[in-house]
Amino acid sequence: MFNVQVDGVWRQFPKGTRVIEACEQAGSYVPRYCYHKKLSSPGNCRMCLIEMGLPKLGPDRKPELGADGKPVINWMPRPQISCAQDVAEGMGVRTNSPLVKECQRGVMEFLLINHPLDCPICDQAGECRLQEFSVEYGTSESRFLENKVKKPKNVELGPRVTLDDERCILCSRCIRFCQEIAKDDVLGFVDRGSNTVLTAHPGKRLENNYSLNTVDICPVGALTSSDFRFKMRVWFLKETKSICTSCATGCNTVIATREDMIYRQTPRENDAVNSCWMCDYGRLNFDYLQSERRLLEPRIFLGNKFAAVDWPTAIAHAALQLKPFSGWEIAVVASGRMTNEELWLMAQLARALDVQLIDIVARTGPGDDILLSTDRNPNTNGARLLGITSEPGAKLPVIAEAVKSGRVKALMALGENPIDTGISVEQLSNLRAFIVMDILANTATEHATVVLPSLGFAEKRGSTINGKGRLQRLNRAVRGPGNARDDWEILRDLLQALTGSNGIYSIEDVFRQMSEAVPQFAGLTLSKIGDLGVQVMQARESPSPPVDPAVSDIEKAEAKKTSGRSR
Amino acid sequence: MDEAIGRYPPEHKRSAALPLLHFWQEHFGFISDEGVKWIAAKLDLQPINILELVTFYPMFRQESAGKTHVRVCRTLSCAMAGSYRLMENLREAIGFEPTIDNHGTHNPISVSPDGNCSIEFVECLASCGTAPVCMIGEKLHENVDPNSVVDLVSNPQSVIRNPQSPHPLEHRLVFKNIGRADWKIDIDTYIDNGGYEQLKKAVTMSRVDIVNELKTSGLRGRGGAGFPCGVKWSFIKPDEKKPIYLICNADESEPGTFKDRYIIHEDPHQLLEGILISCLALDARTAYIYIRGEFPEGAKILERAIEEARKHNFLGKNALGSGFDVEVYIHRGAGAYICGEETGLIESLEGKRAYPRIKPPYFPAVLGLYLCPTIVNNVETLCHVKHIIAMGGAKYAQLGRPNNTGTRIVCVSGDVQRPGYFEIEVGAVTMGQLIYEMAGGLKPGRMLKAVIPGGSSAKVLRADERFKIKDRQSDGSIIEREMSIDEIPMDFDSLTAAGSMAGSGGVIVLDDSRDMVWTLNNINEFYAHESCGQCTPCREGALWMKKITERMLHGGGVVEDPRTLKTIGDNIAGRTICAFGEACAWPTQSFVEKFPDEFASRAAKPVPPPLPPEYISEELTERETIPTTALAHDPGWEKAGSAGTI
Ligand SMILES: Cc1cc2nc3c(=O)[nH]c(=O)nc-3n(C[C@H](O)[C@H](O)[C@H](O)COP(=O)(O)O)c2cc1C
Ligand code: SF4
Ligand code: SF4
Ligand code: SF4
Ligand code: FES
Repeated sequence: MFNVQVDGVWRQFPKGTRVIEACEQAGSYVPRYCYHKKLSSPGNCRMCLIEMGLPKLGPDRKPELGADGKPVINWMPRPQISCAQDVAEGMGVRTNSPLVKECQRGVMEFLLINHPLDCPICDQAGECRLQEFSVEYGTSESRFLENKVKKPKNVELGPRVTLDDERCILCSRCIRFCQEIAKDDVLGFVDRGSNTVLTAHPGKRLENNYSLNTVDICPVGALTSSDFRFKMRVWFLKETKSICTSCATGCNTVIATREDMIYRQTPRENDAVNSCWMCDYGRLNFDYLQSERRLLEPRIFLGNKFAAVDWPTAIAHAALQLKPFSGWEIAVVASGRMTNEELWLMAQLARALDVQLIDIVARTGPGDDILLSTDRNPNTNGARLLGITSEPGAKLPVIAEAVKSGRVKALMALGENPIDTGISVEQLSNLRAFIVMDILANTATEHATVVLPSLGFAEKRGSTINGKGRLQRLNRAVRGPGNARDDWEILRDLLQALTGSNGIYSIEDVFRQMSEAVPQFAGLTLSKIGDLGVQVMQARESPSPPVDPAVSDIEKAEAKKTSGRSR
Repeated sequence: MDEAIGRYPPEHKRSAALPLLHFWQEHFGFISDEGVKWIAAKLDLQPINILELVTFYPMFRQESAGKTHVRVCRTLSCAMAGSYRLMENLREAIGFEPTIDNHGTHNPISVSPDGNCSIEFVECLASCGTAPVCMIGEKLHENVDPNSVVDLVSNPQSVIRNPQSPHPLEHRLVFKNIGRADWKIDIDTYIDNGGYEQLKKAVTMSRVDIVNELKTSGLRGRGGAGFPCGVKWSFIKPDEKKPIYLICNADESEPGTFKDRYIIHEDPHQLLEGILISCLALDARTAYIYIRGEFPEGAKILERAIEEARKHNFLGKNALGSGFDVEVYIHRGAGAYICGEETGLIESLEGKRAYPRIKPPYFPAVLGLYLCPTIVNNVETLCHVKHIIAMGGAKYAQLGRPNNTGTRIVCVSGDVQRPGYFEIEVGAVTMGQLIYEMAGGLKPGRMLKAVIPGGSSAKVLRADERFKIKDRQSDGSIIEREMSIDEIPMDFDSLTAAGSMAGSGGVIVLDDSRDMVWTLNNINEFYAHESCGQCTPCREGALWMKKITERMLHGGGVVEDPRTLKTIGDNIAGRTICAFGEACAWPTQSFVEKFPDEFASRAAKPVPPPLPPEYISEELTERETIPTTALAHDPGWEKAGSAGTI
């Protein structure tokens, strides 16, 4: 620990703390543009200038002590940047002296002279550091009588990111992000001095899977998401902390919504999972929740046609259909996208019916060494821990075989399309019972005997365990459409219909049951998981068998969508 | 090409980017998009990494120049000697509209319609003593008569002026041989005149001893900052594990400075010997000479000198049988003043935009080239090393004045009769002696108005100022004297005490015919053009100051302007990454402060009411995709194809 004087008060900070962070921890926020704690420090914006001093050394090379017994500080005549130095023993900093204020005013003035001051039409308005700091640290009057430097506007840097060079304050955060985090050195500055502009080489654009993080870290409105641009003013948006469910990494997110519409997902810092970043694929993967193909009403197949029914009828019908069978006559194709709570209830159901043929569908895709996992299921580890699967997908051929041979009479498909596991449409129609719980209609839905419409990741609560064994929480950001219902409730009702009341009234009750039975969850509750999650399993990278990914309809739709964007 | 790549450590191939760009441009005339991609692929880089360089370094073009390419110097001393008129006449002779001025934009070259000729205004060519100058192709033309441009273009021949013979007030060490009738620059002449003897002596000395001689000598850097050289060298740890590099800073581009060019052109082996001795002292196995791109001849001369020295085994493997392997390489810049700043230079040498580094933590002696300990010294400084070994540090220290030892070359340009360079004992000559005796005094009928004493970055001194200067006597006591500008001794401490600096030794003399707003505007244009653009205050402030002085010059000055200028300067100096901040702020601060009447008389208009904010609704403007940069296509490339070689 080092003793550091911040604005007159001595405090202690661990070795290696950046001065700018130390000041913030001490309650003296230092404004900054170029500094980002996860990136290198170029020290180029000069916004974080403060006064700094080191202990005055006596003739014996030991710090001189003042009347208060503390080191006397030798203040440096020039202001220093606080973003590139770590604290040192006996260091002193002043963050709000007249000199510091003057520096901040000076830098703000310089940044604004060539900046288009059209905040009312800028997309960043409301979350712009330039706007914020100019109120706090700037002067209101402009002394700039010259013509502003003209630069390109509306430059498409890549398929998802648009650049307005006139707003760019050349902080180089985006360049450093691409070099240091995305490992895709595509952005750079061209020209010199005041004419410097950010750009990409026309032949190699910003199209890596992490490109949208540059939009998050751009302190001004220079980089905008082509997707979100001008769609909505940020101050109208409601923010919900959640996690991305598009792969096993489980990046922590904030879902921004308004009136049950999702406008964007942005990463939320969690050093145990995703640092400050998320991939574009996961970030943009929410449109399907607003798809035309959403299942909105429970339906049962009666006689020779579907009938929309109410929930009690649908549940009763499903239970009725399942009751005659047990053991090897029933198969369940579950999903690695289900939450722990859902998987737990499914496991109860399976036990009640003595079901052996149960597995989840493995879902893989190319991963990278950054965040994106080859395992595209968010909760494979949960399915393992709760005994739904030991090797994801291993039992699916057995199930398909058993369906084909006619041994299986009743099939449940939860969030997955059994046709993708090798079961033919004809075999599906031969089943006595085919119960589907899903959010989107797919090729199998029309052959179901019962359709139970459920909710997507942003519409429900629950927990998952990511590829590294971290238990994390989903939160509801929007309400589900139509009559679709929370998956855990559907499963609970089905379980009750088959086995009688079980005392589960809330999702908390489900978690309590789990925590009593599963040692890894002992002592935990949904609320104890907290925003940042809890490590519950040994870090285990999910295996990535080089098999052709079983791509469900959702994923196909997404693939088409993202590829449409990126190429 | 592979030889060029081989000059850098294999893991730092990127360093070869500038050399390859030079090759490409020499071969194809300009850097096409194919060139960008080809070089990127060759060096395992991304195209953007190369595009960043092409657009940063003004010497690289993205479009073809004319068959004859003329670069006219536009910076202060040349401008004072008529380079703007030269440019106008050239334009007319070649057949351009007189008004085209692309200077300051990325493509500053104007090509004549027939493609035969192209012209470009460039910043200081480091030949201010023979202003105005221009380069035709690779050849420098000095003392050009603005009125004889037609001959110049049709009959280009080098007119390098013969160096002067020493003035009696001079004390020549470094320039000892320059100007001698029998002096040639080959190694034999050098050896016949005692050359490389000091290297042989240094081989027998220990590292510590050489560094100690340097410390005793009191030698201060001649590149600008005046930092004690021996102290700098002793920052290198004796037990350093990483490789140590020595870089000779031959980027000489501070306006008003033109000494390093002559050393390189007239006595390259002296520099080489200084470098090799310094390598021994520092245990540096590799030295790079970073020479500015506008010195193509200098680069060739040095390459030749290195080859000659290699034949004599002064460098290379087991140099002089000492068991010490040492290599010296030339690295050419490409026209950016900021490459003179030592950390900018290092970045440039690493194949990047010359963005100076933050200090701390990137002190070159600790984290320099390739993040290894690196010593950067000026050409002249390294030449002095040889003389210190020859004389011994103590003897050398007797030259000059306490804390201002040895000799140094001062370059005088501007409004004097005999501009040029003079090697003086530091502090043994006063400003008055320099101007009136050595440089021949002012032009007939003119009076001294001001002096910029240490390169254009130094604060200006007004002719009628009184300066309080402390003199340290030999017994250590200090006497304060009040003196006129003529009495200021030409040494580091006196010029600092006078409120300016000795800087790079470039003295620019201004007589009473000079308009200070015009002068400052010329200086401001230099800094606005040369700011690397990395950090906010300098990037924005340098251009702003230039825009104000330009507006004042054209009659648009408003009453607030002098104050605004002054505060812009205040907001830059001391707040930037590198000392360019001071370099660009000091002229403005000092000019406005010292010539208030002249500035006030150009700033008479009332301040206009604030302009309404520009509302251009982007939602309404049609979505346009601007190609990020227009990249020229090279027709020759088609034939060569991507397998082509250069
Ligand atoms: C903006 C700027 C430009 C500089 N240009 C040069 C230059 O052209 N040549 C040079 O030798 N030093 C130049 N310097 C000084 C170098 O940074 C460095 O101090 C010098 O090369 C050290 O050598 P010395 O100790 O031998 O003087 C410049 C410094 C600054 C801040
Ligand atoms: S686009 Fe944004 S992040 Fe990138 S350099 Fe400009 S201001 Fe910084
Ligand atoms: S890496 Fe995975 S969890 Fe993270 S954003 Fe991408 S898809 Fe979502
Ligand atoms: S002070 Fe100027 S030249 Fe130096 S780093 Fe900053 S912008 Fe570049
Ligand atoms: S935040 Fe420190 S210089 Fe930009």
